[in-house]
This record gives sequence, structure tokens and C-alpha cells, in this order.
Amino acid sequence: MAYSSILNWIINRDDWVNTVVNGVDYSGIVNMSPYAGYNLPYDIGVKIWESLGGLIAWLINLIFPGNPVSYTLVSDPVTNAMAIILMVVVIFAIGFVVNLTMIWQERKFLGRQMDRRGTMIGPLGYFQCLGDGLKTFMKENVAPRDIDKKIYWWGLTLVIGTSVLLACMIPLSPRWYIVDFNTGLLIIFAFFALAPFLIMCAGWAQNNKYSLIGGLRAAELMISYEVPMLILFAATVYMTGSFNIGDIISWQENNIWLIVPQILGFIVCVVCAVAESERVPFDLSEAEAELVEGWQTEYAGMKWGLIMLGDYFRGYVACALVCIMYLGGWSMPIISSFDWYYQYLPELFFVLKTCFVFIFFITARGALPRVRTDQIVNVGWKVLMPLAVVNLVITILVKWFIENGGVF
Amino acid sequence: MAAEKMNADQMWLTMGPQHPFSHGLWTLRVKVDGEIVTDAEPEVGYLHRGWEKECEQRTYQKIIPMADRLCYSASMTWSHLFCKVAEEALDIEVPERAQYLRVVADEICRIQSHLMWLAAVGTDAGNLTIFLWALREREFMLDLNVRLCGQRLTTNYPRIGGVRNDMPYYFERDCLRGIERFEKALWDIVKLTDESSIFVGRVKGIGYISREECANLGITGPAMRGCGVDHDIRRDDPYDAYGDMDFYVPVYKDGDAYSRFRVRIEEMFQSCSIIKQAMKKLESIPKTAPYRLKVPKAIPEGTHMARIEDPRGEGLMYLISDGSEQPYRLKVRSPVFVNVSASKRMVQGVRIADIPTVMAMIDMCLGETDR
Amino acid sequence: MAQPSEYYSKYPKKFKGTGILTPVCRVLKQMIKTTFHRPVTILYPYEKEWVPDNYRGRPGLRFDRCLGCGICVRACPTTCIELVEVADDDGNMVLRPQVNVGRCMMCGYCAEYCPVDAMTTTTDYELAEFNRYDLIYDPRRLNFEYTTDMMEVHIEEHLMSNLAKGITDQPTAFYNPDRPVLEDKKCIGCQKCAKVCPVNAIEMVVVGQNDKGKDIKRPKIDEKTCISCSNCIIDCPKDALKMNEVL
Repeated sequence: MAYSSILNWIINRDDWVNTVVNGVDYSGIVNMSPYAGYNLPYDIGVKIWESLGGLIAWLINLIFPGNPVSYTLVSDPVTNAMAIILMVVVIFAIGFVVNLTMIWQERKFLGRQMDRRGTMIGPLGYFQCLGDGLKTFMKENVAPRDIDKKIYWWGLTLVIGTSVLLACMIPLSPRWYIVDFNTGLLIIFAFFALAPFLIMCAGWAQNNKYSLIGGLRAAELMISYEVPMLILFAATVYMTGSFNIGDIISWQENNIWLIVPQILGFIVCVVCAVAESERVPFDLSEAEAELVEGWQTEYAGMKWGLIMLGDYFRGYVACALVCIMYLGGWSMPIISSFDWYYQYLPELFFVLKTCFVFIFFITARGALPRVRTDQIVNVGWKVLMPLAVVNLVITILVKWFIENGGVF
Repeated sequence: MAAEKMNADQMWLTMGPQHPFSHGLWTLRVKVDGEIVTDAEPEVGYLHRGWEKECEQRTYQKIIPMADRLCYSASMTWSHLFCKVAEEALDIEVPERAQYLRVVADEICRIQSHLMWLAAVGTDAGNLTIFLWALREREFMLDLNVRLCGQRLTTNYPRIGGVRNDMPYYFERDCLRGIERFEKALWDIVKLTDESSIFVGRVKGIGYISREECANLGITGPAMRGCGVDHDIRRDDPYDAYGDMDFYVPVYKDGDAYSRFRVRIEEMFQSCSIIKQAMKKLESIPKTAPYRLKVPKAIPEGTHMARIEDPRGEGLMYLISDGSEQPYRLKVRSPVFVNVSASKRMVQGVRIADIPTVMAMIDMCLGETDR
Repeated sequence: MAQPSEYYSKYPKKFKGTGILTPVCRVLKQMIKTTFHRPVTILYPYEKEWVPDNYRGRPGLRFDRCLGCGICVRACPTTCIELVEVADDDGNMVLRPQVNVGRCMMCGYCAEYCPVDAMTTTTDYELAEFNRYDLIYDPRRLNFEYTTDMMEVHIEEHLMSNLAKGITDQPTAFYNPDRPVLEDKKCIGCQKCAKVCPVNAIEMVVVGQNDKGKDIKRPKIDEKTCISCSNCIIDCPKDALKMNEVL
């Protein structure tokens, strides 16, 4: 897939020529777009600014006819800049809605598994999350006295920030992305692995024994699950021959979903993804039975609400990663060969697949108790790690057969 | 102090009284070396209400509903125990029908108390499904309580010399249906616990206590039977109609948290069998048979003692009467108060994550502990 | 001999579980089941669980039946019942119990010991109020609309002496056989017992004349109408009356 980065766009800014005539000519915008191909969120951003900025420009023009501000507002550079800002908002909003849907899905599914009803506010209980968010938003912002203030606040901010950043970095389709990195998957993994370190810092900064133990457990969790995850990742990349998410998915679309040759990897990856997103049964860092709320103990009110939201963002990212690596991302077996599929549906199917993977997470939470700290290391190194290595070996053999034997 | 080496690598962690693991108001202060517990110190007494002293101001009749309040989930056995000590003092024998009715009520109470414990184990191990399923089944047991006694928890069912009322209409049918349903549902919960490798791994091999230590610490009840001591007051010193009942007392020799867990699950199955037997016996006793005796209001002078197999261990009441209508002194021996003193021994060497699971197997109830 | 249940043999102590598949499958099965059938949850304020008539909610009072004897006051473990003077339907002032439901422990003793079943248990369990004074139920408010016969609590006690004789079909269902007896020496004939008797079972009869020629009055207790409420015993200034417990 051809792409151009924001950098390219900045370097080539000499090409900006104001072709505006009477403030309604937008012919240069497509050329000025930072994206070489069609980018849906950017397009939505342009459309929003066309109507919003155009309206403002028109109103100003009514009062001061022929003023330069109106022309500037709808000129190419301003439209472009505003479109990029609006694009980010659009991407975050969609990620947020998907996240809320997953929270709703978890609460509803978990409720049914436990023989209760789950959320009940709104249609099928969908608005409960909004209500809960509003409730935590109303809370007073309390922080304890003897905390390490800088790390307390920055740790929290960065944990949530990286989670949201990750969720925005997930491409939903060939046309829905912020930056089409050649090393997309690697960067997502790098940011994903950043959180345990920040959690450790945040746990230390709270001056609370529970938080401290919770933070240390987060580090323990990381060393036991990052390694198998990265080996799986290596297997995927070896098979598809690219770090680029788009390339990985188009490889799967052209050949076969990776779940078929790498079923073992899929299972290990789901387990690791649960651990990565720190959910039950691997939520050791916030084990509420023994450590009151783990590393979040001293984060009250809206801070806690944001952490919760960030957790679900991470859960979404983990699901999306499983989906990208093994379930073919936004491609579907038969229907994606039709023209209309890529016109209307890829984002929807990607989100649906992500929600489907999330069912595994929910069921694990419903069926299993929390594992112990020593068990988690045992499982990570003695079970998942060998399985991941076996998966890698299988992948290499399969790849060898493809290239030399021509099995497929 | 000078000679004492400062251990900067160990720290005291206070768990409780407001902590998710302490079911009730109590504190467990643990000394941890990283994740490993090296020392522990239980503190109880937050819920002291002066129960024993309050009893001295009340007539014997009025103590029965108060005895319900000793433990919210084992209310039936505690009021039963009080009635038993009063009957011992009056030297009367309860009518046969009342004896069987008491057995039925006791066993329903035991099942619902154990289910409450199972729910607590679920939350302590970090699985809310076990919690909700166990509580769902407990609701059905509480419905049986409502049918029989008129209240869900504070049953106030036994009376000195009998029981409050006979079985209401269709209680027999409802009870047997409820028990049958419960047995099926318990198998489902067992699928979440015993068949789950993670759960078994969580509870196996932790909180070890040997048979000798168990005797020295005075541990009773399922915790004792999990340590290999084959003793159950219902069988070894039968009271009421328990002598006629045919039931198996589960005993495990391992002495870890898992054996305590298994003892309680097995006890629930045995309770079902006891209820079925008692119901069968009740069929043969005519419905018009007496179930309650008229007893004098005052109890003759003297000291009396009675004990009973509470769901949590051996409950004992010691009554000193001065011949009036009010007790001179009523002493309660709470099984949990004694069992919790063993927590220091139990949690030494385990990890922090194991503390809730180990302590859950004691089945804390602070109402009776602090009285 | 008793056998251990199937649990014993199915899961021996060495059993280490069957991995995580069984619980996961069981939970998914439950999810599918509750998707098609409704979960057990009752949506409380909109749906309510059926409660049997013998449910012990707040105490209820049938005003017309009540005698104002005060047995409920003395039986109450939390002393939440108090006798207050209220006007009855004809405008006469009568004593009726008033219950502080905030203190009530719902033991049902008042209904159990009421000799005329005026006090009943009720199925009313939604008792929340905005302030504490609203929790004090006056005798008229204690009335419960849907009182049924099942809400009455009867004591069916058997006398131990009867059982020893082999009589098992004569429970003391609606009457208490205890009767007050008079110790003649202590009585001063003050008539207090006759005044406090709620059922007018005590009649002062002249048994003779003293040295000064005045009548000596002694209470005569009508065994049939007496409800053994022991009001006379409590109010006797000289402790001349005593309850004779029939066992």
C-alpha cells in the first residue's frame, strides 16, 4: 500500500498554492492531503471543516464583505490543518464508542454468565457506561497528602495516555488509520509494553503498601508475558513478511487466515493478551481480594474512572491485535472479494471481530479465578513460552514448505 | 531494642478492618517479605456488642431471637443451641416431631451457611461467578427458611421445649424439591471449582496445619476435619434426632485449604441426605403430634452446658442460672473466635495472594466472634 | 452405614482439575441458557417476590380485637411496644399497643403471645421512611389491610403432665392454663387488680368483716375469662398474687 507521512507533507509544503476563488474552490485539498490514498477519517474531517469553517467564513463575510479572514479560514492550509485535528477527534470518538460497546458487552455477557441481568439503563443497558462515567466525573478530585506528586500525576496520565494512544493507532481498515507505519505492529507492541513500567512508578508514588505491591506485580506480569507474545509476533511477521499491519492483513486475505496454520499461536496469544491487558484471571496488579485495589488504591473518583476506561482501551487493543494477527483483520473470507465490501463494511467487520475475540476475555473472567503470582510466572515461562516456540517452529516449517514445496 | 536487627526488607501490612478480604470487621496484620508472609497477627473485637451482658437483662424467652443475631448465616444453630442449654437446665426432652423439625431447619441453615462461605471463597479467589451462583442457590434455601419460620435469616424458630410452629402446608414438597434442585446446582458450582485447574491450584497445598497443632489450637468444625480429626458432634455426641440419622462425616488428612474446602462441599451433600431422611421420618409421625412443650419461665439454680455442631465448628453455651427468669451468666464459646487464632499459623509461609483463600476456609463470622 | 456422596469418588483428593475447559464450557452454557430464558434476578421495585402469609414482617394490629392487656409489651425483646391511649370507634379511650418499627426485630413474639390474635405478623417488609418519627406506628396505623388467618400465630403448647399421661391431642392452643393465685395473708383488698384487669375477670367479693366492721374484699378470679396476662400480678402493691404455672 502506498503511503505518505505527515513529514512528507511538511517537506513538500512549497506546493501549497492558494487556488481559492471566492472562497469556494477546494480543488487543491486532495493534493495537499498528507495521505497518498483515500483516508476516511481525514475525509470526514475535511467535510466537517467544509461545513463548519465555511459557515463561519460565510457569516464573517456577511458582516465584512471581502475580508481576508474568511478567505483564510477556507484556504487550503487552514482547511488541511483543521481537517487533521478533526480527524484525530473522529478517530478517538470512534475508538471511544467501540470501547463503550465493549464495556457494555462485557457487563451484559458477564451478567448472563452469572445468571443475572447486567446493565439495565437505556436500550439493552447500553447507556449504563455513560451514566457511570458521568458519576465518576462528578466526584471530587482527591489525592493523598504524602504522595510523590509528580510521579503520582504523571504516572496516571501516561498510563491512560498510552492506552488511548494505542487505541487510536489501531487501523480499522485500509482507509482508516492515522499513520500507516511500515513498522506498525512493532510500535503498537512497544507502547503496549510501556504501561507496566508506568504502573510500577505510579504504585510507588502513592505511598501505600498495597499500591507498591500491586505495582511490583505489574512488573512481574510483564516479564512473564511479554516474551511469549513477542515470539508469537515474530512468527506472524515471519509468515507474512512485513511489520505493516495492512500488509499482514492483505497477506492473510490473499492466502489464509493465520489462525489455521498457527492455531497454537492463537490460543497462546489470547492468553497473553488477557495478561497484557491485566484482566481477570491475570489482574494481579489490582487483585481486589488481597490488595484493596492494587496499584489504583489511591486513585479516587474520576482518576479511577479514567484508569478503568484506559484498561478497556487496552483490552480493545489486545483484542484488535489478536484479530489482526490471526483472524485476518478487516478481511472476510468470501464477501471481501466484492467491490462494495471495501466501500462500506471493513471497519464494521473489524470491530465485530474484535468484539468476538473479546468474548474469550469475558468468558475467561467469568469462569476462572485469579491466578497467583508464582503460578503466573510458572504458566508464562513453562507453558506459554514453549508453546510459542513450538508455534514459531511450525511457522518456519510451513513457510519453508510454501517456498520450496509449494503446498499452497 | 538495640540487639534487634532492623529488618528493612520486611514490612507490616494491615489487612482490615475495612478490607475486601476480611468478611466482617477484623484485622489481620501480616508481616511480609516481598510477597511471602512471615508473621501474622489477627485482631478481633471491632464488633463487640456486649451480647452476653445483654442476655443477663432479658428473660429466657427473649434471648432466643437475640441468639439468632449471633451469626447472620448460622442463626438457626445458635438459637437451637440456646434452647438446648435451657432444656438441659430444665431437664426436659423435646417431642419427637420437634426434634426432626429442628434437624431439618438446622441442615437448611448449614447448607445456606456453607453456600455463603462458598460465595466468599469465590470472591476471595477472584471469581464472581462462583459468588453469584452460590448466592443464587442460597436464596432458594432462604426461601425454605421463609416458608418454615417466616424469616429469611433471623429464623427465631426453635423454642425452649420445641419449635415455633409445625411445617406449613406443602413445605415438605417444597423442601424436597428445593434440595433436589440444590444438589444439581451444587454439581454445577463444583464444575467451576474442583474441575478448574486454576482454582485447585489456588487452594491446594496452602494453609497447612497438622493434626497435633489442630488439637493444640482448639480448631473445630470443618477446619478440624480437614486436618484429619474424625470428630463431629452430630455423630459422636448426638443431640435431638441426629442419633437416628445416617450420614457420613468427611475427613481429610492433608490439612491444607483444599481439604477444608472439600469437607464443606461434602458436608453440603450430606446435609441434603440428612434432610431427606428427616423428611421421611416426619412423614411417619402424625401431623397432630405435639411439637412444643409448655415450659416454666424460670430455670432452676445451677450451671449447665450444651454444645452443638455449628456450620463453623463447635458452638458451646454455658449457662449459670440463679433460679430466676433471667440467666445469671451466659457464656458463648464461639468456634470462629478459636479458629481465627490459628490464622497466624496458617498464613505463615504463604503468599499475600493466598491469605484470602486460606482465611476464607475458616469462614469468618464476626457476629459470634466478638459477641 | 452412611456412604460418602458421589463427590468423593468423582473428585478424589489427588484430582487436579481438568484444565480450564470444563468451567469455561459450563459458563458459556449458562450464558446461552440465560439468553433464551430470563435470569433468576428479580427486578425489585417493579417485580416482587411472592412471600408466604406466615412471613414475619412488621407487626400488625386488629384494633377491634385487641384487649389492651399488654402481653405484647412484656414479650417484646427490644421493648419497642408501648401501650398508648387512643379513642376507639365509639370514642372511648382505650389502651392499644404502639410499635416503634425502627427498633422492632421482627421476632413475631407479640403475635405469638397475643391471647386473642389481635396482633398478627404481616407481609409488609418495605418499611423505609424519611425520618425516625415516621417509624413509630400508632395503633391505627398498625392495621394491615390484607390480614389473613395465616398471619395469626398460635402457640400450640402441650403440657408435660398431659404427655406423661399419654394425652397428646390437647394442646393449649388458644388459652394459657396459667392462673394467678392469691396469697390471702398479703392481700389488703385495694382492688387494684380488678381495675387493671383488661377482661374484667376479677371481681371483688366480700369475704367477711374486719374488727371495725368494714367489708374485707378479696379478688375472685373468673377462670374462664382470665387470659393470664399477669397485669394484676405486676400491679399488686403487696405481691399477694402469684402466677401458678401449669406444666
